Amino acid sequence: MSPPLSPIRLGILWQRLTGLMDEVAQTFVRTSFSVVVRENWDLTCSFLDAEGRQFAQSSRSVPSFIGTMPRTLAGMLRRFPKETLEPGDVLISNDSWLGTGHLNDITMMQPVFRHGALIGYLGGTFHTVDIGGAPRPDARDSYEEGLTIPVAKIKRRGVENADVIAFIEANVREPEETLGDIRAQFSAYDIAAARLLRMLDEEGIDDLTAVTSEILDRSERSMREMIAAIPDGEFSDEVTADGFDHPLTIRCTIRKRGSALEVDYTGTAEQIDRPVNSPLNFTYAYSVYALKCALDPVAPNNDGSLRPITVTAPEGCLLNPRRPAPVWGRHLSGHYLPFVIYRTLAQVIPDKIAAESGSPLWNVYFKGTDRKGGKFVRMFFMNGGHGARPALDGPACLSFPSNVANTPIEEFENTTPLLVREKALIPDSGGAGRFRGGEGQRLSFESVTDDPVTFVIRHERVQFPPGGLLGGQPGRCGRDLVNGAVIPAKTVQTLRRGDVVTFETPGGGGMYAPSDRDPQALSRDIASGLVSAEAAAAAGYPLLERTDDQ
Amino acid sequence: MRLGVDIGGTFTDLVMQDPATGRLFNEKVLTTPDDPSRGVLTGIASILHKTGTPPVAVDHVIHGTTLVANALIERKGVRTALITTKGFRDVLQIGREWRYDTYDLMIAAVEPLVPRHLRFEADERIGHDGRIVGPLDEAALAPVIAAIEAAGVEAVAVCLLHAFQNPAHERRIKAILTERLPGRTIAISSEVMPEIGEYERASTTVANAYVQPIFDRYIRRLAQGIREQGIARDLFLMQSDGGTVHQSTAAEFPIRLVQSGPAGGVQATALIGRLTDEPNILCFDMGGTTAKAALIEGHAPTRTTDFEVARIYRFKKGSGLPLKVPVIDMIEIGAGGGSIARINRMGLIQVGPDSASAVPGPACYGQGGADPTVTDADLVLGFLDADSFLGGEMRLDAAAARRAIAEKIAGPLGLDVVEAAWGIHETVNESMAQAASIHTLEKGLRPDDFVMAPIGGAGPVHACAVARKMGMRRVICPAGAGVASAFGFLAAPMAFEFVRASVTELAALDLDGLRAMRDALEAQGRDLLRGSGLDEAAFGTGFGCAMRYVGQGFPVELGVPDALLDAGDRNALLAAFEDAYRALYGRIEEGMAAEVVSWRVVVTGPYPDLRPTPAPEGTGGAEAARKGSRQVWDGTAGRFVEAPVYDRYRLVAGSEAPGPAIVEERESTLVVPSDARIRVDALGNLIVDLDAAAGGDAG
Repeated sequence: MSPPLSPIRLGILWQRLTGLMDEVAQTFVRTSFSVVVRENWDLTCSFLDAEGRQFAQSSRSVPSFIGTMPRTLAGMLRRFPKETLEPGDVLISNDSWLGTGHLNDITMMQPVFRHGALIGYLGGTFHTVDIGGAPRPDARDSYEEGLTIPVAKIKRRGVENADVIAFIEANVREPEETLGDIRAQFSAYDIAAARLLRMLDEEGIDDLTAVTSEILDRSERSMREMIAAIPDGEFSDEVTADGFDHPLTIRCTIRKRGSALEVDYTGTAEQIDRPVNSPLNFTYAYSVYALKCALDPVAPNNDGSLRPITVTAPEGCLLNPRRPAPVWGRHLSGHYLPFVIYRTLAQVIPDKIAAESGSPLWNVYFKGTDRKGGKFVRMFFMNGGHGARPALDGPACLSFPSNVANTPIEEFENTTPLLVREKALIPDSGGAGRFRGGEGQRLSFESVTDDPVTFVIRHERVQFPPGGLLGGQPGRCGRDLVNGAVIPAKTVQTLRRGDVVTFETPGGGGMYAPSDRDPQALSRDIASGLVSAEAAAAAGYPLLERTDDQ
Repeated sequence: MRLGVDIGGTFTDLVMQDPATGRLFNEKVLTTPDDPSRGVLTGIASILHKTGTPPVAVDHVIHGTTLVANALIERKGVRTALITTKGFRDVLQIGREWRYDTYDLMIAAVEPLVPRHLRFEADERIGHDGRIVGPLDEAALAPVIAAIEAAGVEAVAVCLLHAFQNPAHERRIKAILTERLPGRTIAISSEVMPEIGEYERASTTVANAYVQPIFDRYIRRLAQGIREQGIARDLFLMQSDGGTVHQSTAAEFPIRLVQSGPAGGVQATALIGRLTDEPNILCFDMGGTTAKAALIEGHAPTRTTDFEVARIYRFKKGSGLPLKVPVIDMIEIGAGGGSIARINRMGLIQVGPDSASAVPGPACYGQGGADPTVTDADLVLGFLDADSFLGGEMRLDAAAARRAIAEKIAGPLGLDVVEAAWGIHETVNESMAQAASIHTLEKGLRPDDFVMAPIGGAGPVHACAVARKMGMRRVICPAGAGVASAFGFLAAPMAFEFVRASVTELAALDLDGLRAMRDALEAQGRDLLRGSGLDEAAFGTGFGCAMRYVGQGFPVELGVPDALLDAGDRNALLAAFEDAYRALYGRIEEGMAAEVVSWRVVVTGPYPDLRPTPAPEGTGGAEAARKGSRQVWDGTAGRFVEAPVYDRYRLVAGSEAPGPAIVEERESTLVVPSDARIRVDALGNLIVDLDAAAGGDAG
């Protein structure tokens, strides 16, 4: 058998396996047919070991996908047990409860075989803008939200399963884009599998699980050390989401004992029949992601580093809904979790957390007829301000806890009959503090077509702003307007030629009292126009002496 | 005489070639950071004096400089303003909205070069297809101009939406500003880089404006100095894409010089490839703080227009200022001789990205550095020699190296010092091999189709090991790697490139229009080259395009033979695209429509007839150049083996020797592993065949 692994060989092997995931992601992105994959990088490519444990992922990954992937694989294997998998098979599903929590994310897994034995899985999750159905802010159950692809083999022994392809093709609005992205991953997996096998030959590794086990154990130890450094105890706090007809409370209790940490969402509002429920997979993913960032950001993220953490939410609540609750906008509750966790831990580890950001992530779907007479669906992301940090201001318009890039205006206008009138920072939107929250942004879109353009939004933080921490003030709430009049934040509306819809994303919360802000930093804020003199006075910032300095 | 001059951090290197005899002369003088032109002029005077060359005999001075990159990294450009389309002045600050590190909550935002109070707006709008949606309100510019004037700005960048499709408004604003604000630099995006993407284009235009006045002053000073020395010639400069341009073009678009020096190094290795008949070369440049890799395919360096300068976080993509300029496509990682080795939170060795720099430097420099570095590991493993580092000018402290590795790595991991040193060496090699492999893949190429050419001080020490990890079979260690950049300036042909972006489906191509465009641009390029005094008979032209499937975002570059365009064969163009696509990704998308994104015309002058000084003639083979032997670590065998040490300057052409072996020259040391074989070609290049011992455990 293999000789015991020295730390040197272990390190080299690990480096090679993680590098391989970046290669998979690179191949996928470069051959992708969708803007959301290649511009927004709304994807993750992963390697899971023979026991289905998350081991390595592409470095530019969507945090939630990393957390849900092993759970999705486990669900897939319940349908197709390991023994039924063959070389060249690819499993697929977008089931909201097995996957990332909504139908738009498709997960695929390709088992990798060596000498006839299954040695691991190459997997990927990516976002597809349209998954059929009629997802709307007022959908009452998950059936309205589009096509559910049950766990299926989309490739069998290297051959595409025409039935599965046909089902998808018949149910989505842009099959070329969706199937193009699925097929782009087929070649990415094949290339990666061949490289993985060659790597194992070169390194003379017979037992890959021994390598992964060792790495996972070391990752676990690293996380346990960081948890152990926090004082034992039970801590609780809550945040309030705008919700639909009434606000929704998200309550978090963290029990920390020794080197283990439990996150419990008991006390959170019941699930509602509107698409804001977060299936437990998604709840888990954003909870462990938040803790990883705060406690052990440097060590790599894998199954081992998450072992010391448990996440529970009562069944039937917003964060663990029963089927067929509508879940299309599950981030509308899930993206609050890092903030409620940081709020809960703020007193204990104030130097490791951040104030609340202007999220859940804001986006808008536009649908209509493009210039060639075809149908189009385009999603556009708009990030709010990032929360202040213990020793740094929060950056303006930075994606957190998600991590999606924006779409260039020039690219967007090339594919839609819309004209973007403004993309600008909103002065005074960042929460005041010794360290300020980042600014939100204002984006205005004008319809320049005679065909109606429909847009769908479901925005949070228009009633309850992103909170500050430890004396820092909240950021500004967001707003949605059509032709200057405020509209509901969760709505479907239609634009006629000349109509302008405006979105104002929320600003991040501040940290520590504004009276402690460095006067020089404050005078730069005022010179930039991002903090007005009136707002500065109202926030309780230190008084500046007048100078001629700009 | 042709003269190449490269300003580095410490030294200014000069290489002079006599085209009549092919002879080359080198000179090295100290760089003068306060005014780099002084060092250059000193160096020129010195090399002319030493070789007895009259100044009038100098025909070409080709120059590369880090001035532009440094001004951006150190943020020492001029006070710059920006004018954007109304509603978009904050795009420069907002950027692309994603976090360059997934887990670090404390990452800093990249500060734009123009602060918000100097960002202004023009009331105008151009549509996605270049149509004017809203006219330019010239009256509304008056207060903007007044504010710019009052702010004491030296340079103004203008970047309007879709200006790459229709530059009319940018040009008008430039004309107005030139009239109203005389003496200021005005840079417009449609001239600096006419490409889609408002943030990246604005960032590039701003960076150009920000450095332009500084660069202009510098180049004027230098040109004047050269004339005063009696050299009655204009300057030429090396651009980041490896082409050379006249000083007037460089002064207008200095941002294209951001990678000037490294581009010279790559051109030098490209020349070695031509001379040794190796079309595919991976140029591996490992210095003190970073390693760079660039691919030369079919004798031409691969290029890109996606570049980032001044990264603030571990060389990570997204943490710098994006620049859309033609550059030789180069990756850079924080792995150099001075990179520090540590045990990370996982109990594993990690090397870099931080570096011990020059001061205190690696522990073995004996300047107080206590952290073990790659150089320390190389010394412990016998790859470097304490007495012959930098030609013996700097004695290394082997005991200090062992001590640092023992304390920080070996002890905590329970390894012996040599094992730990090997771990550091292997880890950094793996990082470099991996980064270079991913880079190769991104270009759609396979590493095992390439040979490696190492330059830089640490390049030859690590080249063979990195090449083996990448599945490569040959390493060519060029002569004179220490002055590679200056040498490369002489090696590059004069070239002019034109890019025309226009997204058009294959079926809708206007072939007559294309032929006319190609002919016009070719003629323009030829005029420019003739103006540089070159022989028209030797001009070469290239025509190519970037294509993708409709709906995709990343195009594939392909060459378009003249015959194909002249015959107007769309199917042949589609077939050429599909071939290129299949080679990249292993499949094509049957039945999907394809489109052209941009066209490229390159007009190239003749390749300079440039040969490195040949290896000395003589008999006695490698043995005659042997200056001793030492114990070096053999990683495969897991023990020290005795390796002969050769003096590179005494190796005669045709010499051969088996590995393990060490070849020392002043600036570097080539480490030849077991199972490899080394030979010296007629030009003095060291050629290492890595699988020389067939059947051996060469990996």
